[in-house]
Order: sequence, then structure tokens, then C-alpha cells
Amino acid sequence: MWEHRCKVAVSGVGFSRVTRSAEIPLAAHALEAVKGAVEDSGLAMSDIDGLATYPELPATGHAVIDGVTIVSVNCMMAMLKLPNLAWHVQVETVNIGGAVQQAVNALLAGVCRYAVVWRAMHNPKGTYQNLPGTYAQGPAQFTAPYGFGGPGQGMAVAYTRWLETHKQNREKMATLAVTQRRHAQTNPHAYFHGVPLTREDYLTSRMVAYPFCLYDCDIPVQGAVAIVLTTADRARDLRPRPAYLAGYGQRLAFEVTGRIGSLSSYMEGGRSSSRLTWERSGFSPADVDVAQIYDGFSASVIYGLESYGFCKEGEALDFIQDGRIELDGELPLNTFGGSLSTGRIHGLWHIIEGALQASGRAGARQVEDVNVSFVGASAPIVQGTTFIFVREPY
Amino acid sequence: MSDWSKVTRPIPVPNEWTKPFWDAAKEGVLKLQRCQACGHFQHPPYPTCVNCVAIDLAFEPVSGKGTIYAYTIMYHTGDKRFASAVPYASIIVELDNAPGALMAANLLEAPYTEAKVGRRVEVTFERLNDDVTLPQFRLARGAS
Ligand SMILES: [Zn+2]
Repeated sequence: MWEHRCKVAVSGVGFSRVTRSAEIPLAAHALEAVKGAVEDSGLAMSDIDGLATYPELPATGHAVIDGVTIVSVNCMMAMLKLPNLAWHVQVETVNIGGAVQQAVNALLAGVCRYAVVWRAMHNPKGTYQNLPGTYAQGPAQFTAPYGFGGPGQGMAVAYTRWLETHKQNREKMATLAVTQRRHAQTNPHAYFHGVPLTREDYLTSRMVAYPFCLYDCDIPVQGAVAIVLTTADRARDLRPRPAYLAGYGQRLAFEVTGRIGSLSSYMEGGRSSSRLTWERSGFSPADVDVAQIYDGFSASVIYGLESYGFCKEGEALDFIQDGRIELDGELPLNTFGGSLSTGRIHGLWHIIEGALQASGRAGARQVEDVNVSFVGASAPIVQGTTFIFVREPY
Repeated sequence: MSDWSKVTRPIPVPNEWTKPFWDAAKEGVLKLQRCQACGHFQHPPYPTCVNCVAIDLAFEPVSGKGTIYAYTIMYHTGDKRFASAVPYASIIVELDNAPGALMAANLLEAPYTEAKVGRRVEVTFERLNDDVTLPQFRLARGAS
């Protein structure tokens, strides 16, 4: 087990307003979320001395305009003018989960005391994807000429591989979409709060990139979320009950840039990340009381459930049936509604919900008697990270 | 059958690592990058062998026959250049004797409903302009 287990905790969490597309600069969303997280902790902004983010554009091809299409550490520094700032980082290869892990490491190293991590997602007015132009450069030269323009198709190909290899039926995925949307009706921060979804809606919805229909894809939105991380001893003195970090892991399997469609890469990536999380925390999938698994596209949940070890390969769509992922089920899943309900905010939302469930702060969607709370914060293939938060340090 | 006649495809731009692939395609030959140390084929091209880390790599002809590893049927018309072909099959092909070298393509000369994991396919070539020819795939003909 990890000697640093339960020595760092998530304290406050914060949310910005979420709009379908950009109405105000993205920096204002990020600032709103960060202020909310600091206030939720009961801290003053001047207490914050660490900053971390993953400032990647949510869709390919847009120009990087700091404060408008991304919110970098530099941009946040300019807005907050932190008098005690001591440490910051923005990560590139491990998505927002990697930024959280870097903040954990900085806290353990004692180079900062209260770190804020945010994820801000831009959705321009008009077309979400800025598709490759007349010419396809770099890795796109082998994909864009064939109509592989966006992430949906890249994810969809591995899904057909999974469906047909395991002789499975995509209609079973309706259970995930409908259950998550029902969870979201208790989450006022979700884009689809107040908008129910029925099995019929799912089964009759338009196809986007088979096997993905509309409700297999998270809706692009403009918004931000943030968390405060601190050491466990400091967290105990703050307003919220801490969610203790028991262990984490990140994807360690190599993938060739530009190669798409490999189902085995998803599985290897997920196994490599979760193995470390299980080892470091000392828990196993059977110990988990509630799970948040990244669902930017629905099939990511399949790859997560299987590669993290919650069920056998080929069985995830059967595993999610019969009430198992309901709030009172055997494995309550994506209890905040998932990205499919909140909109495309990436995995920091999953981390937030994992922490809220561990600290008993999830309100009407709180799962009873939670101690072990699992998070898979990105699709396992390229940027996967995994976490376990617990209510009781051990 | 998807109508490709009105589709304007993005034109691939070869770079120093990928030029031999496109040069061969222009001649109607499918060549993949192969490690000269361990014999591993890989695609897309990479600066080192992803199997043994050797840097002695060369492009060698492959049979052009393989199976559909995975596919998607595109319905979304967000990219107007492809809208006239919707629905169309974008496939990932695993070539015989080059496991792991996954190639993207469209399934040509067949209804998109013929795209299924495990179907046998063979390479065909689609000329885009004087400089660039695109390797594509169709269902394999006869014994394969
Ligand atoms: Zn080699």
C-alpha cells in the first residue's frame, strides 16, 4: 500500500454557470468555479498557493486564445493575483486527472498548502469541430481523408469492435443513458437538469456515428468546475468533511500517435492505470461503494468497467442492467449524471462527484454508507487516470 | 451505396516520415513501415520501432489483403464535404501479416451495411489529384 494514502484530501468544490455555447469569456466561467471552490472550503483566496489545470481545447482545430478558448495557469494568475502563490503547473499528457495528481504530489512535497485545480471547457458558437481544412497534416493525413473528422468516430470504431467481438447489442446502452439522466435530476449543475430521458427517446434517437446515437455523446457546452486540494491535517480544519485520497494511477500503456480504433489499447490503458490505484489503496473492485467512470462517449464506460476490473470483458452492457447502477444498486454509477448529463466538462466533474460521495456531501443523490469511492477520470486509452477517495482514513 | 462522387476529401500532406507511403500509393502499391531489426510492421509511421525501439526502418510492400478490425457508419453531416456520402462506412483494417498496423479507410464499391468486423477486404486506390493517391479498401474478391 501507498505510504501517502489519505494524506491529501479534496475539500471544497465549485461550479460555473453552464451555457450551450460561449456567451461570456471562458475566463469568467473558470473564475466563478474557482471562487466557488475556495468559498466552499471556507478559505480566503489569499490562502491559495498552488494552481493546476489541463488547458487543452475540447475540440480539434480551434485557435488557442487564452481566456477565451482555454484558461491557462497564466490567465488564472492574472485574475487572482495570489499574494502567496508558491507552485503551479499545467499538464499535457494525462488530462485533468494528471493536473489533480500533480497537485497531490506538490502538497505531499510540502511546496504548497492549498491547491486549486480547474477545468474550463469552451464551446464556440457555430460548429463545434473546426474540421481539417483542404489539407490533412500530421497524424490526420491517415484519418481525415476518410471522413474521420471528430472524436466520436474514433471512439465509435472501437465500440463496433467490442459489440461484434462479444456478440452484444447496442440497445442495452439505453439503460446507462436513462439511469444517468435520472441521476442528473438531483444535480442542479447538470446541463440536462430538468430534462428527463426515456428508453424510447434513446432507442429512437438519430444516429450520429454508428453505434453512437445522439444520447451516446456528451453535449458540448461552455463551463468550468474546480476543486481545492490540501493535506489531510489541514483539510480537517476546513468547513467540508474531507474526501481522503486513498490512491491514484495513470495510464502507462503506449499508443502510436494517430492510430485509432484499437480496442486493446483502451483495455491495456485502463488496466495499467487501475492496477496502481488498487495496489496503492489496498482496495479491490469488490470493495467499491460508488463509481464515477468517464462517459464523454457512452462506450468509455464499457472500457472502464471492464479494464478497471468491475466485470469481465464483453459483459459491461449486461453488468449495468437490473438496477445495479441505480443509487441503491450494487454499484451506483455516475451518480451526478455523468458527462452525458452535465455536458462536456471532462473528468474533473467525475473527480468532484467521487469526492462528494466519499465525504457524504452529495445531497439528494448521496449513496448510503459510502466509504470507498472510485473515479476513472478519462477514457482509458490515452489520458486515463483513476482515483479512490474514502470517507474514513486508514 | 454511398455516393462519393461529390465528396471533397482533405488532401494528405506527406512529411519526411510518411512520404514513402504516399509515393508508393501513387504507383498503386501499398507499402508499410517495417523494422529491419525485428520485422515488425507498423502504421501510422513512427520514428522508432514500437516493438524493439530500433531506428532502422524501411517501407516494404504488403499484400493489401486484410480484415475489417472495426468500423463506424457516419450519419452526422457536420462536415459538409462528406455530407453527400452519408451514411458511409469508415473502417479500420488490420492487414494480414501486419498485426497492430491499423489503417483507416472507407469501404468502397459496397453498401455501407456490408461493413462488419472480420469481413475480408483488399486494397484499392483512389486518385485524389496528380500528386496524391489514397489507399482504400473494398470487399475481397474470390478466394482470399
Ligand atoms: Zn523492431
